Amino acid sequence: MAYRLGVDVGGTFTDLYLVSDDGKRFRVKTPSTPADPSQAVLTGVKRICSEAGITVADLDNFMHGTTVATNAVLESKGARVGLLTTLGFKQILHLARSQTPGPLAGWLIMIKPDPPALLSDTAEIVERMDARGNTITAVDTAKAEASIRALVEDGVETLTIGFINSYISSKHEEEVAEIIERMYPGFPVTLSSHVLPEFREYERTLTACMNSYVRPKVQSYVDHLSSELKALGATCEINILRSDAGLMTAREAGRNPIYGVLSGPSGGVAGALYVSTRAGFPNILTFDMGGTSTDVALCQDGAPSIGRETSISHFRLRVPAVDVHTVGAGGGSIAHVPELTKALRVGPESAGAVPGPAAYGRGGTLPAVTDANVVVGHLPSSLIGGEMTLDVAAAHAAVKTIDDAMNLGSTENAAEGMLAIVNENMAGALRVVSVQRGHDPRDFALVAYGGAGPLHANAVAEIIGSFPVLIPPAPGLLCALGDLVADFRDEFARTYIRVIEEADSTEVATILDGLGARAKKWLDDEGIGQDVGRVTYNADMRYHGQGYEIPVAITPDEVRNKGLGDLDERFNQLHEQLYGFRMPKTRAEIVNLRAVGFGSVEKPELPEGVDGGSADSSHAIASDHTMIHKGQRIAAKIYDRAKLVPGNVVPGPAVVTEFDSTTVILPGYSAKVDKFFNLLINKA
Amino acid sequence: MATTADKPKIAEIPTGIKVDPVTLDIIEGALKSARYEMDAVLFRSAMSPVIREQHDEFPMLTDPRGRMVVGQFGAYITEMMEGWDRGVYPGDVILTSDPFKCSGSISHTNDWLVLVPIFYKDELIGWASQFGHQMDCGGPLPGSLPTGAKTIYEEGLIIPPIKVVEKGEIQHDVLNLILNNMRIPEMNRADLFAIVAGCRAGEKRVIGLCERFGKETYLAALQQLLDRTHEAMKTLIQFAIPEQPQYFEDYIDDDGLGNGPFKMKLTIWREGDHAFFDWTGTDPQALGPINFYLSEGMFKMFIGIYLIMVNDPQILFNDGFYPLLHIVLPEGSLVRPRFPSALGCRTHALARMFDVLGGALLKQAPELNAASGYGTSPYMLYSGWNTKGDFFYSMEILYGGIPGRPVGDGMDGHSWWPLFENIPTEYLEAYYPMRIDSYTTVIDTGGAGFNRGGNGVEKRYIYLEPGEVSIHDDRWLTRPWGVLGGEPGERSKKLLVRTDGTTEKLPSKCDNVHVEPGDMLVYQTAGGGGWKDRLVREPERVVRDVKFGLVSREKATSGYGVIFKGDTLEVDAAATAAERARQSEVRGPVENFSYGPPLEELLANCLAETGLQPPKKATQLRWSPLQDGAEALALVRAKDNLPDPAAK
Repeated sequence: MAYRLGVDVGGTFTDLYLVSDDGKRFRVKTPSTPADPSQAVLTGVKRICSEAGITVADLDNFMHGTTVATNAVLESKGARVGLLTTLGFKQILHLARSQTPGPLAGWLIMIKPDPPALLSDTAEIVERMDARGNTITAVDTAKAEASIRALVEDGVETLTIGFINSYISSKHEEEVAEIIERMYPGFPVTLSSHVLPEFREYERTLTACMNSYVRPKVQSYVDHLSSELKALGATCEINILRSDAGLMTAREAGRNPIYGVLSGPSGGVAGALYVSTRAGFPNILTFDMGGTSTDVALCQDGAPSIGRETSISHFRLRVPAVDVHTVGAGGGSIAHVPELTKALRVGPESAGAVPGPAAYGRGGTLPAVTDANVVVGHLPSSLIGGEMTLDVAAAHAAVKTIDDAMNLGSTENAAEGMLAIVNENMAGALRVVSVQRGHDPRDFALVAYGGAGPLHANAVAEIIGSFPVLIPPAPGLLCALGDLVADFRDEFARTYIRVIEEADSTEVATILDGLGARAKKWLDDEGIGQDVGRVTYNADMRYHGQGYEIPVAITPDEVRNKGLGDLDERFNQLHEQLYGFRMPKTRAEIVNLRAVGFGSVEKPELPEGVDGGSADSSHAIASDHTMIHKGQRIAAKIYDRAKLVPGNVVPGPAVVTEFDSTTVILPGYSAKVDKFFNLLINKA
Repeated sequence: MATTADKPKIAEIPTGIKVDPVTLDIIEGALKSARYEMDAVLFRSAMSPVIREQHDEFPMLTDPRGRMVVGQFGAYITEMMEGWDRGVYPGDVILTSDPFKCSGSISHTNDWLVLVPIFYKDELIGWASQFGHQMDCGGPLPGSLPTGAKTIYEEGLIIPPIKVVEKGEIQHDVLNLILNNMRIPEMNRADLFAIVAGCRAGEKRVIGLCERFGKETYLAALQQLLDRTHEAMKTLIQFAIPEQPQYFEDYIDDDGLGNGPFKMKLTIWREGDHAFFDWTGTDPQALGPINFYLSEGMFKMFIGIYLIMVNDPQILFNDGFYPLLHIVLPEGSLVRPRFPSALGCRTHALARMFDVLGGALLKQAPELNAASGYGTSPYMLYSGWNTKGDFFYSMEILYGGIPGRPVGDGMDGHSWWPLFENIPTEYLEAYYPMRIDSYTTVIDTGGAGFNRGGNGVEKRYIYLEPGEVSIHDDRWLTRPWGVLGGEPGERSKKLLVRTDGTTEKLPSKCDNVHVEPGDMLVYQTAGGGGWKDRLVREPERVVRDVKFGLVSREKATSGYGVIFKGDTLEVDAAATAAERARQSEVRGPVENFSYGPPLEELLANCLAETGLQPPKKATQLRWSPLQDGAEALALVRAKDNLPDPAAK
C-alpha cells in the first residue's frame, strides 16, 4: 500500500492530508510553530500516521509547502550576503530601478528597505562582457581573490555573483565561482546567470541575492526536517512546492530556494485547480480570502497562469510564480470613516490575530469584516464543529460605530455597507487577473477557499458574473491537497533577442533542443521516468521595441519544419486578445526561449459519491435562521454540510457550515452538491 | 459637412437623486481601478521606453461636461471642445499635440493627447482621455526637443485637435500625413494605438458602471464625488493656507541659448474659503525652449495632491475642489508664454514649480517640508546611423539626489517624479551602439543634514558609433537648497572624454555634440539638499555612509563634524563634540533655507568653478510683453467672481 502525505504550513495552522492508494484519507490540523515550523510538521506527521494506523516508514511521498523562505524575506532574517559585481556597478542594488512610488510627491514618504546585500558587503570585480557575449575585459584573478578574501573574512555567509551581460554568457561568473570554490571549497555561491539567465541586470542580481539571502535558512530547515523524519523512520524524499505550483526536490530547494518563495499561495491554486478540473471546470478564478489578505489567480484550460515576476515585501523578483494578485483585505480588515470625507473605507488596517475582530471576544472593539458578517447573519454565533462561539453583541457594538459616524439608518445597514465595500475590493482584485489580462470573468468558475472565501464568494460572483461558485469540501485543506497533486517542474531558459525575420529557424530549433535536453537530463537526474515526464517549450515575444513579453507556445519540430511564420501569427493573435490591437507592419521579436520540464505525480482519488441523488436537502437542516439582505430581515436555514450528499440542492438564503468553513448562499441562488461533494452555487 | 445636428446629446446630470453612501464608495473604487487599468493596458502595449519604462503618461475619466472625476491632471475638455464643429460620435478618437489648444494640459508637442467620447445608449456620458510622451514627433532633431528652439515650430509636428478615428473608422489619410513626419513612424503608431487601447479600457468600465447601477445613479454619483472632494478641500485650505500672503522664489539656470537665470516666484494667500496662487514676479518668458505653459487645472491638481496626501490619501483626486483655487498666471511670463514660444524643454520649470510650491506652502513650517532635489528631468539623447546604415536613436531620463525629508535621508540617484524607472544597462547595450562604463551615485554630492540629501548619479556612456548627442539638465549654476541647517546639494556637470584623452566641459543644455566611437560622456546630475541641522546627525549614520562609500571621510568631518580615531572608522566622541561646537559657533544660528552662495557670487565665479560661461540676463521679447501682475489678478477675480476685499 502506498501512502502519500501533503503538508502545508500556514501562518496559523499546519494542515496535513494523507491519502492511500486504496482511497483512504486522513486529515490533521495542528497549530503552526513559527519559531521552528518543523515542530508542528513533526507533531502532525506522528498524529496522522497513528490515526491511519501506519508508521512513518510507510510514507512513500512527502510533499511540502513551506513559508520558510517567504518569512525570511518578510521578517528580514536572512543570511549576510556578499555581492560581486562588474567594475562600475557596485551600487546596482542601491540604485535599484530609481523608482519612487506614486502619486506625485510619493517620494516624501517612501521608506527604502536595505537590499539583501549591503553596499559594504559588495565588491567590484575587474571583468566585462559585451551584449553579444564577447569578453571586453577578462577576469582579473588576483584582484578577484583579494576581494573575495576580504568579504569572506569579514563574515559574509554566502556570495552572489551578478555581472553585466551574464545572461548572454555565464563564462565570467563561472570563472569567479571557480575561484571561490578553489579558495573556500563548499562555500555557498549563487550565480545570477544560473538563477535567472534573462536580461535586466538589476532584477537578475536582486533575485540571485535574494536566493543567497534565504538559502542558509531554507537549507537548514530542509536538512533538519529530513533528519528528524529519518529519525522517526521515514525513508521517503521530501519534495517542496515551488511558487509556480511545481514540485522540486529538497536538494534543489536547498540550492535555489528562491523558486519556492511563494510556495504557500501556489499550493492553494494547485489544489483548487485539481478539484475544479475534476468537477468539469478547467477555467477558474481562485478566491482565497484569509484574515488579513486575499489571493486571487486565474487558471485556464486546467493550468494556472504563470507570471515571470512576483513581489515580496518591497522587492520585485523575477521568478516564475503563479500569477497571484494579493490585496490587503480579508475577514480581519477594519472599517473606518475618515473625518474629512465621511466615506466608508475598509482596510488596510487589520484586527490581526490579536485582538482579532470584536466577535472573537478577545478584546477587539474596532469593526472588522467578520463582525459585519456576524451582524447580517452570514456567520452564525456558534458553528457546527467549530472551536469557538462568536460574541454577537460585541460585533453589533463595533459595527454600530460605523452607523454612528455615517448615519446609515441602522447597524445592519452599516454591516451591509461594509460587506458591499469589501466585496467590491475583491471583485476589483479578480478583475486585475481577468479583465486586465484580456479575459472575461463570466467565462470562469469561481473557486472559493480560505477562512472567509466561501462567506463572500456568492456576493463577489454576483458582481463579476463568474458562475458557478465552487466550494470544495474542507476548503481549509486545499493547500495541503495542492501539495499532493503538484507535478515536478523546472525551467530552462536562454535570452535570444532577434526580430523574427532575422532569427534563423534552424538556430532557434537547435537552442530549443539544447534547452529540452537539459530539461530531460533534469528529469532523469530527479529520477522521473520517461512515462511521466514531458517537456513543453515557449518563446517570450513582443513587438520590436516593446518592454513586456508574452509567452507563446512553440516546439522545436514545428520551427524546424515550418519555420517561424506560425510563431509570428500566434504572437499577433495573442497580442490582439490581450490588448485589443495588432500591428501587422511592426516586426515581432523573440526575447527568451524556454523549455519547461514536467514530471507528473500520481494524483490521489478524491471522495466520490454517486450522482443523481435526490434534490431534497431537508435532512441536513440544522436550524432556522435569519439573515439581513438589502435592509430586510429574511428567513433562512442553517445546513450541516457533513449531511449533504450528491444531488442535494440547497436553496438560498442559506448558511452551510462545516468543520473549518462557512458558506453563504444568497437569496435567488441555490447550491447543488456534485458527485465530488463540491457545492456549486448558481442562480436559482 | 458637420451641422449642429451632429452635436452629441449630452447626458443631464440628475439633481433629484441622492446616491446612498455605500454605492457612492463603490463607484469611487470602481473609477479608481478603471484608471489603473488604463495605465496597465498602456504600459504593456506601448513601445516608447519613455512611456513604458519611465511611465511618462497620464489617464483621466470625466463626467459628461468634461470635468475630471478620476485622473492625475485637470480638465481641459470644455475649453478644447469650444468651437469644435466636427461632430462627436461613438467610436471617435480625437488626437492633439498642441499645448496652446488644450489650455496647456499637455506641455510640449511630444505629448500626444487622446480623447475618446463615452456614449451610453445614445447619450454622451463622459470622456476617457490619456496622453503619453512620444519618443519623437518630427522636426529638425531626433527627440523633437531641440535645446536651441526659439519657437514651437522647431519642435516637430503640431497636431491640432483632429479625428484620427471617426465612428470606428481609422482616418488613414490623416494618420499617414502625421506619421510621414516622424522618424520612427511605427513607434508613434504603436504608442498612439496603445494610448487609444488604454482609453477604450476606461470607456468599457464606465459603460459597465452604467449598466450595473443605472445611468442616472452613475451620473448623480459623479456629482456627489465632485462635491465630496470640494467639501474636503475646503477644510484643508482653511488649515493649510494662511491669510497673510507668503512667497517663495527659485531659479532655472539658463534657457539653452545663454540667457538666464530665470526666476520663478509664487505668492499664496487665502480669502475666506478661497486660496490664491499668484505667479506675479516670475520672469518674462524665455527665448529658449524652457517655457512651461502651466495648465491651471494641472496646477490645481498638484496643489490638491500636496494637501490631500497628508490627510486622507484615499480621497479621489478630481475637479471638485477647483472652484476653491484661483491661479494668477501673467501673460508673457515663463509659466504663461504666448504662442508660438518654444516649450520643448519644460521639465526644468516643471520640477522648479514643485520646489517653489513646496517652499511657499510650508514656509511657516519648514520642518514639515523636505529640502529641494536635483530639480529637473535630465535627458541624454544619442542618434546616428550604424554601420549597416540603419538609423538609431536612444533617449534616456536620468535621476539624481532626492532631498533630505522628515522621514529620513533623501534617496541617492532616485526619481522625484513617481514611478519613473531607469533603463537597464543590458537593455541599452542590446539595442543601441553604446556601452555603459559605470553607473553609480556620486560621493558627497548630497547636502549634509540631519537627514542627508541624496547623492546625484554619474553615468559614463561610451559611444560605439559616430553620432550626435543632446543633453538637457539644470542646477549646474544654482544649488538645490537645504532647510533648517541642512546644506545645499552639489551641482550637475558633464564632461566629454575623447579617445585621445582630451576633455571638454559640456553645458547642461546642448544639441549636436558629435561623438566618435570610443568617446565617453561622463554625465553627473545634481544632489539633493539636506534636511535640518547637519551637526546633530547621529555619528553612526555618518559612519554607515562612509562605509557604504556615499560620504567621504573628509566630508564626514567638514559636513558633519565627525572625527575618527586615526585611520579607523571609530568615532572619537570627544573630538567630534568639540569639532561640532566649533563649526556651530562659526556658522551661527541655522537659517530656514540655505541656498549656498548668492546669485551674484555664483555668476562671478561661474567660469572659474564650472568651466562654462555665465548666462546673460535675458532681454524682453518684443512680441510678448509681460502682463502686469495686478491686471492679471483683477482678471482672475472678475472671471471667478471674487471681488477684491480691499476695494470694499
